[in-house]
Amino acid sequence: MSPPLLELDDVYKSYGEEQVLSGVSFEMDAGDVDVVIGPSGSGKSTMLRCVNRLTEINGGDIYLDGDCITDANTDVNELRKQVGMVFQDFNLFAHLTALENVTLGLRKVRGMDKAAAQEKGYEHLEQVGLLDQADSYPAELSGGQKQRVGIARALAMDPKLLLFDEPTSALDPELVGEVVEVMRDLAAEGITMLVVSHEMGFARSAASDIIFLDDGRIVEHGPPEQLFENPQAARTGEFLSRLTHEGE
Amino acid sequence: MPPLPLQSDWAFVAGNLDLLLAGTGVTVGLTAASILLGFLLGFPAGAVEVYGRGPLKRAVETAGVVLRGTPLLVIIILLFFGLSVSSSAFVTATIALGLRSAAYQSQIFRGALQSVDEGQLEAARAIGMGRLQAIRGVVVPQALRRSVPGFQNEFTIVLKDTSIAIVIGLGELLTVGQNLYQGGQSTAALEIFLTVSLIYFVLTFVTNRSLDYIDDHFSIPGGERA
Repeated sequence: MSPPLLELDDVYKSYGEEQVLSGVSFEMDAGDVDVVIGPSGSGKSTMLRCVNRLTEINGGDIYLDGDCITDANTDVNELRKQVGMVFQDFNLFAHLTALENVTLGLRKVRGMDKAAAQEKGYEHLEQVGLLDQADSYPAELSGGQKQRVGIARALAMDPKLLLFDEPTSALDPELVGEVVEVMRDLAAEGITMLVVSHEMGFARSAASDIIFLDDGRIVEHGPPEQLFENPQAARTGEFLSRLTHEGE
Repeated sequence: MPPLPLQSDWAFVAGNLDLLLAGTGVTVGLTAASILLGFLLGFPAGAVEVYGRGPLKRAVETAGVVLRGTPLLVIIILLFFGLSVSSSAFVTATIALGLRSAAYQSQIFRGALQSVDEGQLEAARAIGMGRLQAIRGVVVPQALRRSVPGFQNEFTIVLKDTSIAIVIGLGELLTVGQNLYQGGQSTAALEIFLTVSLIYFVLTFVTNRSLDYIDDHFSIPGGERA
């Protein structure tokens, strides 16, 4: 049996006195789309950032494809080639066009030549529906377009796993749809995704599993039907009902 | 010999224009050399202040504080008469102006580097770029654009401060001007200084316009001006 694509084993993280993650464990398989929900400050983003080691953990282990990636001798740049990330605030490179945003990693990290990188760059811009904006700079794009470039930039590296850190939270409501649609397409293509998001529509329809994180612990972890229809923990039901009411 | 009558004497200025222009050449050369030295030292110094740590960072910060807190006149006299770093007045003036400019340029670049939001560096790291690679490929190109206005200021300050090299006898523009009327050949001091001032003005004006052009040329479409 092949190991899970991603495994968190009893992960702890604290910032000084403040405990952010307190023994988080879960697994996901290739092709899974797991959505992480939870109140603000529950440790969702921190957990995500531990997976590509933008944040270092204090205890436990994280495995990617069976390899421990939280060892002291893990090459973080090698790890990050395999784990893409999409940010809440897009974080596009402001001095580069949409195409150059996508090709920078291909050229500098993958060492591709310009022509090959551009060809692949166009391919991924097309995948997110932005072929016509290839030569636009970030400041010339709408929020939704920026985030789609952010997704193309991460996809271009052909990651085994794609992390989404609240990808729609910084968007105007009318721009959320175009980003969610791209994410839905990726899910359907079998891209493995770990998504921190409160887009309940996406969670319901695209998620393999939903992970409810509260106060640095996983309160409940199961398929969307379970969490939405028949939550096992009282806290889950309480949180979800508040979320859906606020969303309406 | 009776004192020369006080009357305007532009003919004297015109007759010595070749000397003034030679002095202008020295001023331009000294400015260029000093700005270049200031850039070569100041840019890395600014980067160390933002990204460095430990003794190196402290050393750079301390050097900056000392240089910014010492009058240029003192630096140049100390280097020439005190430490005798070079027998050449031009070289000494270049070092003095260059060091002082490095201390100021480091702050221009420090501010510009810090103004590029942290998220972009993080995004570059997240696609597997090394720290230095990410700083060089993502932060520096934007920081250089943002430092143009501050650099414009620094350029004009250095240009005019080259006149301080008069105290070590370097034949730059102001020195040439002063020698002309102190030689007793003319009382046209006012005419000479007006001409000298005009030349400084033309130089700063042309420099500023050129940097404006660079600012425009490299500005990021749709974004803030560079």
